[in-house]
Amino acid sequence: MDNQQPILDGIDPEITERLVSRREAIRQGAGMSSRLAAGLAMASVPVAIAALAKDTFAQTPADILDVLKFAFILENLENEFYRAVLGTSALAAQNNAFAPVRALIPDAAKQTFQQIQKHEQQHVDFLKAVIPQFGGTVVSITAADFDFTGGNGSGTGPFARATTELDFLLLATQAFEDTGVRAYKGQAGRLLINGNNNADIALESALRIHSVEARHAAKIRRIRRQRNPGDTSLRFSGYVRGGGPAAAGAGNVANPPAEVVAALTLIYGGSTAESNTQHVVFNGTAAATIDAATLTGLDVIDASERAFAATQAFDEPLTKDEVINIVKNFIKDDAARGLP
Amino acid sequence: MSKRDPDRGEPMVVASAGELMFPATRRGFLRTLMAGGSVMLLPSVFTACTDDDDDNNPLGPGNIPAPVTGVSFDLRSDVGIFRLLHLNEQLEAAFYTAVVSSGTFSSFSADERELFIDLRNTEVIHREFVRTALGSQALPDVRGSINLNTLNNILSSRTNIIAASRRFEDMGVAALNGAGKYLQDVRNLLVAGKFASVEARHAAALRDVLPPAGVNANTAFAGDDIIDATGRDVKLEAGAVLDRLAATGIVVAGTLASPAIAAAPTATQGVATADFFPANP
Repeated sequence: MDNQQPILDGIDPEITERLVSRREAIRQGAGMSSRLAAGLAMASVPVAIAALAKDTFAQTPADILDVLKFAFILENLENEFYRAVLGTSALAAQNNAFAPVRALIPDAAKQTFQQIQKHEQQHVDFLKAVIPQFGGTVVSITAADFDFTGGNGSGTGPFARATTELDFLLLATQAFEDTGVRAYKGQAGRLLINGNNNADIALESALRIHSVEARHAAKIRRIRRQRNPGDTSLRFSGYVRGGGPAAAGAGNVANPPAEVVAALTLIYGGSTAESNTQHVVFNGTAAATIDAATLTGLDVIDASERAFAATQAFDEPLTKDEVINIVKNFIKDDAARGLP
Repeated sequence: MSKRDPDRGEPMVVASAGELMFPATRRGFLRTLMAGGSVMLLPSVFTACTDDDDDNNPLGPGNIPAPVTGVSFDLRSDVGIFRLLHLNEQLEAAFYTAVVSSGTFSSFSADERELFIDLRNTEVIHREFVRTALGSQALPDVRGSINLNTLNNILSSRTNIIAASRRFEDMGVAALNGAGKYLQDVRNLLVAGKFASVEARHAAALRDVLPPAGVNANTAFAGDDIIDATGRDVKLEAGAVLDRLAATGIVVAGTLASPAIAAAPTATQGVATADFFPANP
């Protein structure tokens, strides 16, 4: 043992902090106006976004605006869903619909819902501010545009039980969040345009929203597991285990309607299902497909767990079309405003 | 006794291993450690220790390779960025493997044991996946560079284990969120995204099990300390990730080259943005 080794090399954290932030400030000076840097540092949307306009030095490609507008619809869907659940929707009918289940939500879970709703509102506000600065137009979307029963406006769709049964509400919530995670993951590649400052900001923001949605989904899964301790397909880790309807861990919802099972099949399935273990990497010269289920060096993992572990270790994307197919019945059709 | 005046920001000084048996000293030690603060272990601490590392290495069983020195990263390619990911995944996998085989682990609840076994399994798969993806470009096995003093102190209690885990996972999320814009191939970005949301799920679960001090237990999974006012998660540039990693003391001095980033991403890859990360996630 090296007995002269100071455990932390005597680094004063405050000095480290100062050096890091100073270095960051210098780095940013090269590519970003001080106003934008200051705005981002303060995490202030209006300031950062106002400064963005001055910094735009490249045209925003159509792909980026398309992704942001798509995300705007999804974030509104989530936000209005939580507002209806919490009774804070601007539309009385939405609040009234969820009144029965609202009375069943324990206080701890209510605080969780409030925190998630706050983030969805922030995402809506962020996208609403970013899209015009990138040259796009934001459509007006309100609570009246949604049917959270999945009935495409009928109000009597297959998810209607979410308005009266707590376990069903939690299942629907998890499904919305996991869909959000998969949607952002599927769109990230369209935002990757090296050398385009707008694309960089859009991509980084999308990734940072993506991981927030994953935190939400994980928390809801944990709440569901605690209400149903025997369902080990719901992990305390909040992981997605396997693919298809089984990955939803629907065990504590009695007799789910066939349409709900079909929806869960889409939400946890798709062209790259959550059960997928094969992933493609590119090393600069060649692409390779690596199967996480057949890697070497996994001896420490119990043999009976390896197949599950290989699915849990990777969250999978959905394509835009797949996401639209999942959410279209929760959104009343309005092609003029781009609502599916 | 240990001496430290927190108001003056002095390093905490520990003169003997026995002092770490006092709960107050131990708490101060770990609080300092977790805050990225500095702790001086005087040589007397080690002279009092018996050399039990070989018999009781928390990273074992099996051969632990010699420490790796002078690791650096060229971030101008996806391979370079994945090598940094490989370092993180190796450290996380080794750490959770040690947690699950530690004596402290038996005091965890059944739920917590399930959580940590899931974490270990995932990080081991991530480690092997990235190693396979990098092939000849992979980092060597860095387990020999893990600071056993730091590790053993973390492993000494459930609270320390969870707090250290939280920090690792939130740093993992922040690193991936900061690195994505520099990747040049969409397939690699997709793989990084597949990792990132899983790391975020880890972080949420750990913060749920034991929220950071002062954070509401029902909102800690995505608390106001780690999500900014625009609803966006933590994010760090690579240099800040390595600085914070070094500050945890989990790797011995000399493991990372100075500077550890041999070449930063080019402006064509992307432009650095402001970091967002709390002092104590």
